[in-house]
Amino acid sequence: MKKIIEVKNLTKAYKKLTAVDDLSLEVYEGEILGLLGPNGSGKSTTINCILSLISFNKGDIKIFGKTIKPDSYDIKKDIGVIFQEVAVFEELTVYENIDYFCGLYIKDKEKRKTYVDDAINLVGLQEFVTFYPKQLSGGLLRRLNIACGIAHKPKLIFLDEPTVAVDPQSRNNILDGIKKLRDNGATIVYTTHYMEEVEILCDRIIILDKGKILASGTSDELKSLANIEEKVTVEVENLKESTITKIKEFKTVDEVEFTNNVLIVTYKKGKNNLVELIDFLKDEKVVYNKIFSERPTLNDVFLELTGKELRD
Amino acid sequence: MFRHNFWYSLKILFRSRALIFWTFAFPLILGTFFYMAFRDIEKNEKLDVIDIAIVDNEEFKNKQDLVATFDELSKGNNKLFNISYVSLEHASTMLQNNEISGYLLVTDSENKIIVKENGVKQTIFKYVLEEIDTTKKIVNDIVTNSTLEFTHYENIYQDAIKLYNESEANIEDISTTNLSYTMIEFYTLIAMTCLYGGILGMTAINKCLANMSNVGKRVAVSALSKFKIVLSSLFASYIVQLVGLFLLLIFTIFVLKVDYGPHIFEVILLSVAGSLAGLSLGLMLGAVFKTKENTKIGLVLSFTMLGCFLSGMMGITMKYMVDKNVPIVNKLNPANMITDGFYSLYYYDTFNRFYFNIASLLIFAFLMILAAFISLRREKYDSI
Repeated sequence: MKKIIEVKNLTKAYKKLTAVDDLSLEVYEGEILGLLGPNGSGKSTTINCILSLISFNKGDIKIFGKTIKPDSYDIKKDIGVIFQEVAVFEELTVYENIDYFCGLYIKDKEKRKTYVDDAINLVGLQEFVTFYPKQLSGGLLRRLNIACGIAHKPKLIFLDEPTVAVDPQSRNNILDGIKKLRDNGATIVYTTHYMEEVEILCDRIIILDKGKILASGTSDELKSLANIEEKVTVEVENLKESTITKIKEFKTVDEVEFTNNVLIVTYKKGKNNLVELIDFLKDEKVVYNKIFSERPTLNDVFLELTGKELRD
Repeated sequence: MFRHNFWYSLKILFRSRALIFWTFAFPLILGTFFYMAFRDIEKNEKLDVIDIAIVDNEEFKNKQDLVATFDELSKGNNKLFNISYVSLEHASTMLQNNEISGYLLVTDSENKIIVKENGVKQTIFKYVLEEIDTTKKIVNDIVTNSTLEFTHYENIYQDAIKLYNESEANIEDISTTNLSYTMIEFYTLIAMTCLYGGILGMTAINKCLANMSNVGKRVAVSALSKFKIVLSSLFASYIVQLVGLFLLLIFTIFVLKVDYGPHIFEVILLSVAGSLAGLSLGLMLGAVFKTKENTKIGLVLSFTMLGCFLSGMMGITMKYMVDKNVPIVNKLNPANMITDGFYSLYYYDTFNRFYFNIASLLIFAFLMILAAFISLRREKYDSI
């Protein structure tokens, strides 16, 4: 597959802090690469370095096979960026904002009009084209922010936490829009600290912490790194201490936790853990309301790798 | 794309309420206050006709120079004196009753002014008499040192009187176009409006800097070159600045009835050049100093205020002090280039100094824009 981005040994250090530490990554044509990590893990700094917005201490960055510099306008014309913060003009309407930013890439007026309309349709802002940004809700504002970044139909798109502080409806709309962009052939780098989003969207995921890559791969590949196989949660009205002790003695059980009438049993391995547990609870005459099984999440992987939660 | 950014920059600037207020409304409001404050000062400064008396004795009648001059000064709409020709006793009584500011008593040995108190009117009366004596002395010297016959003395004397009267008339003419206190304040207002364009220049550059705003980040990663973005934004800001300036001129001329005299074209020309200098100063400060927006605004305002202060906008003495002791400061000071340009229109017969100031402002603007572009070229930030 064709490499769109190639980063080698990137290091960016501030006085006492190394924000990006000897990071290397590759992004391939047509994929959505997720950069997952908690706040301060170096995701945005990595993107800013790749875009040649900030200087870096060491490393080599190539986009479309060329080294990018601040005045590499031939490379920049095929890049779209949606920053974490909403970047629009308060004095321009929704349509004017999208048209203005699209016009920084597309000279032809007719073509630009089509592109702007496409962007408006993609993010679902058709009813708000004459609105000013201050008249929009947070979710609509985020959609406008995205439209401004992708209206010129770039080949490579950077989305830096585009769903922060967004309502569920807008989030779904945004995620659907991103999938459409990928379907249209764009290569996407998506940074977030929401693991659910990368699981839904991304073809490959890189987990970052303290400026270093902890792990990378597909969602399934990463989950296989977790030391657990299954997690079963049971809502019970009452549970004796002796019952909990018996569960802990199961061969495949790793950990048992009981708080606020919720029993969580974590298994290292095994195939019929849920059935076995249901039978046991029946024998013990334990009454339960709800019981369900989960596969390990990326948060479990992160916990496994760093000893802390993703959202810490 | 240059045109695209230019039109949208214009749109953004004209829709920005804060900028509209400071660029358009504020100078008009300030101009109105100036007008209200200084209109009465100007009125009060106009001198009333001075009531005086002349002792109508033989000695006075024999001095034709005095008779003719005082006669001239008590005639017409712009007369300086109301003269009562009375006896010594009557003049003394009038003075005691405060009917006159003073009276003139001519004797063989001297021309004497008698006053009851010192004041502006008494000083003017005294000054006029001294001027007559000085002129007469000059004429006498010419006659004494020449080989002309006495008959010619009468001609020379008459010519001298005529010349004197004409010169008085000239002084009056000049004073109508001379720089009044109100005019200085309005020129100061125009100059300050020009220089406050620095805020517009800084706004133009901030829009393109990734470390200054979120929009700046987006613009910085776009495919349009910084040079084109900054130049087109600057051009739009300049248009807005000029619109503000012309509004101010139109408002002061047609509403406040400010008379800029015969040099209105030069006033506009200097304002246009001054605005460019102010704008480019803001651009340079915005590009070179890597600091927060509020700090940059503070820098532009401080720099402008300091320049205005050193150029004598808040007191003309400062300009003379700086010109005398550290002339280089005012030679590099755009505020001084503007004020000096305005003053030169009134204090010099030729436009050489005026056009020198115009050229200085344009060179200043060019250097500021150049410094800004050098600073921006291939700029990367340590953090954003």
